[in-house]
Amino acid sequence: MIVGERKPFRELKGFIEDYRKVMIVGCGTCATVCFAGGESEVRVVASALRIAFLREGKEREIIEDCVTRQCEPEFVETVVQKVNDQNVEAVLSLACGVGVNFVAGKLDDVPVFPGINTKFFGATVEPGVWVEMCAGCGNCILHLTGGICPVARCSKSILNGPCGGSSDGKCEVSPEVDCAWTLIIQRMKKLGTLDHLSQIIEPRDWSTSRHGGPRRVVHEELKSVDAANQQG
Amino acid sequence: MAEASVTENVVAAAPCTAACPVQTDTRQYVEFITQGKYEEALELLLDANPFSSVCGRICHHPCEQQCRRSKVDAPVGLRQLKRFVVESTREYRLSRRKPIAPTRKERIAVIGSGPGGLTAAHDLARLGFKVVVYEKWHTPGGMLGTAIPRYRLPYEVLEEDIDDILSLGVELRTGCEIGRDLRIEDLRREGCKAILIATGLSESRTLGVPGIDSTGVLLAIPFLRTVRLGENPLLGDRVVVIGGGNVAIDVARCARRFGVEKVSLVSLESRQEMPAWEWEIEEAIQEGIEVQNSWGPRTVFAENGTVRGIELKRCTSVFDEAGRFSPRFDEGDVLTLLSDTIIIAIGQRSDLTCIEGSAVKVAGDRLEYDPETLATTETGIFACGEVVTGPGAAVEAVREGHRAAKAMLHYLDTGEFLRQPPSELLALGEMPLETAEKVRRRAPVIPELISPERRVRDFSEIERGFTEAEALAEAKRCLACTTGALVDEAKCAACLTCVRICPFGVATVERTAAMPQEQCLACGLCAAECPAAAIALKRFGTNQMRRELEGLLATGDEPKHLRPLIVSYCCLFEVTSRRLVRAEPSDVARTGVARVMVPCVARLSVLDMLTPFELGADGVVIISCMEGDCLYPTAEERLSSRVRKAKSILDEIGLGGERIDHWKTETSAEVSWSAFWEISKRKLRTLGG
Repeated sequence: MIVGERKPFRELKGFIEDYRKVMIVGCGTCATVCFAGGESEVRVVASALRIAFLREGKEREIIEDCVTRQCEPEFVETVVQKVNDQNVEAVLSLACGVGVNFVAGKLDDVPVFPGINTKFFGATVEPGVWVEMCAGCGNCILHLTGGICPVARCSKSILNGPCGGSSDGKCEVSPEVDCAWTLIIQRMKKLGTLDHLSQIIEPRDWSTSRHGGPRRVVHEELKSVDAANQQG
Repeated sequence: MAEASVTENVVAAAPCTAACPVQTDTRQYVEFITQGKYEEALELLLDANPFSSVCGRICHHPCEQQCRRSKVDAPVGLRQLKRFVVESTREYRLSRRKPIAPTRKERIAVIGSGPGGLTAAHDLARLGFKVVVYEKWHTPGGMLGTAIPRYRLPYEVLEEDIDDILSLGVELRTGCEIGRDLRIEDLRREGCKAILIATGLSESRTLGVPGIDSTGVLLAIPFLRTVRLGENPLLGDRVVVIGGGNVAIDVARCARRFGVEKVSLVSLESRQEMPAWEWEIEEAIQEGIEVQNSWGPRTVFAENGTVRGIELKRCTSVFDEAGRFSPRFDEGDVLTLLSDTIIIAIGQRSDLTCIEGSAVKVAGDRLEYDPETLATTETGIFACGEVVTGPGAAVEAVREGHRAAKAMLHYLDTGEFLRQPPSELLALGEMPLETAEKVRRRAPVIPELISPERRVRDFSEIERGFTEAEALAEAKRCLACTTGALVDEAKCAACLTCVRICPFGVATVERTAAMPQEQCLACGLCAAECPAAAIALKRFGTNQMRRELEGLLATGDEPKHLRPLIVSYCCLFEVTSRRLVRAEPSDVARTGVARVMVPCVARLSVLDMLTPFELGADGVVIISCMEGDCLYPTAEERLSSRVRKAKSILDEIGLGGERIDHWKTETSAEVSWSAFWEISKRKLRTLGG
């Protein structure tokens, strides 16, 4: 899932304090699961902001909402409708950056502010702890590295590691960070495929990653007839 | 935002409710007790059962037999809790009495003033009918008024219920025997459009053994009536009671109270088969009554027509293979008991005098009737209770009375008969053993009976009721079945948080979370942590609490609140009286403390801790139960970490986390809470607004 973390309240308050009517919109999928922007967090953020404005004697109306995913047009449509119907002046989205982008793209003249810092694609390694595991590079090589991604999990994204900064299985960047290459070697030992590592991984074509510009995925069969016709 | 809906998926009733013949919402009245809402509890009880005072004393409490707490330690003392409710609301109950002016022109006659007849009268009077109840004896209440001795059911207690019913405008004519003093056709002539026969089983059966006509052989019901009238039945030195049911036990225990040293009870059944309630038998034995099991009477010995003893024969089996009553005896195994008085308590029969001259048919010694419509063979005449069903418990008669009222209402409205097939509530399933093992054990509060030596001296009531502290402690033991966590599947993100934190291992997630109601103990920890706000509990909700707080903090016409203003969330389970339970806006204005009682404060979410500040409070004081006293494993730590999070949010927004205090009750709520509030107020004063 996409993992994010709520921005500090001071920042959130700064975004919205010039607007009299603000809607905070949560996202019911990744942001919920990582406790950054689900319905409960929307309510907490709304409450905290109300308290902060109350202390300053500022009258602010804060509306709460949460949709299943802010990265789908149908779900976002309900947000757009509420914003228009209720004359909302600004939106604070507690979705990942995708949701913020997507909602902003659907609202012409109403600003959308990011309520969370989107961090990474990660997994829950223990309750309350999420760790990055994928960098979305567009050309997966996990079959070569025992299922452990050096691009995402090695601080330097080295394809033929480890580097000299690995010590006792930890990365020199932080004692909390496992050395991905140590993990890869241990794992491949267990799999009996350690010898595969004698083959050097060739320099990669990073155009599938961010380097090739914004990416898109198309399933022709799922496109609506109208859209397909328009594109010829 | 709307909270998750709590109405869906609840199909099963709490087993206590399902087991109750009148389907009393037991769990709810116990909850009302914990909330100090004794009057609401009384309303609930009386609505289900106008004989609530009686049932608080003598109900055979099938609710307790089915209580799911039995799997953990012992059932909740529901009968005693019911008694507590009626005993602590006497004045309120008197104040709520008011006659109901008849709105229907039809008159209804009820023959028999037992629990069945009077319940029907009660319901019909509330429906606007003019009801007249005829009672052949001079005291109302049927067997409750004549046969149940006052050490179990003081007369005043029965009167509480009966007077309540009569206060609706029900007319009671005692000493008026239908069939003798008046006939059914007279009732018709007086304008009765419907008649209910609820005459019960008012006569004792006797035995067909030689010598049974001797002087000194008495029948149970006349004997108990003599006792009821306060007369001395003149017993001999040795009394033998024949019978193994509850009436036999009552008779034997009454005999002891008239100073008879040697009272023997002879039962055809073995100890395990005896139809009397086990606790009654135990209490009788404690009082020195000798129980002779598996003997049947053979001959009564008499001298000059006066009883001298009884010869018994060994009963080898009471029931046949099909479970029918068909005693077999070993005539060679004989026991002789010397006695001066023999009291026959082998069962009752009906007195059908009332139907003389009517077209009501009889089947055996009972009335012929349709058990679904309660109609007899004469149109307009209905029957209910033991006269048609055979022996039953008081609360079952109440149920039949309710059914009779419904049947008669329908008949009077439509001229047709309403079918009321037997209906049972689906009870919540058993609690799995692995869940029961995780539930914290708590010994039941059982008021001791007065000592057997003291008991037999007179007819004083042998059991005392709960004190308020005891009732609150016992009510706390209720597992609140059927109020467990419910998931709004549309919101659930399947994040697994509930699975990870459920202290009872109940929650599961497949596509969405699920908490089987059979297992969930309604601690609410999952709801407090759910990031999707997808879990709701029937007894507690953030929105519900916010509304309560808004109500409490509304200043209205009152002057402004005292400052600092504190919202105090308190563990509902730590109070020993209701003084601290209920809060009014005026208290808040006066004291500066708005108390919100929570059934375990560990359910408080971070949002619950922030909301008071939104509503203008200066501080929040959370008071949980005593150290280590929480009902729910891990709850104390969970609460502490949520308090830390709420404090950090207050720090972040510049208000200061020190505005939230978390205390643990010391000794009792009454002793420690006000000190906590004082300490917090002092601190808040230094912090300023």
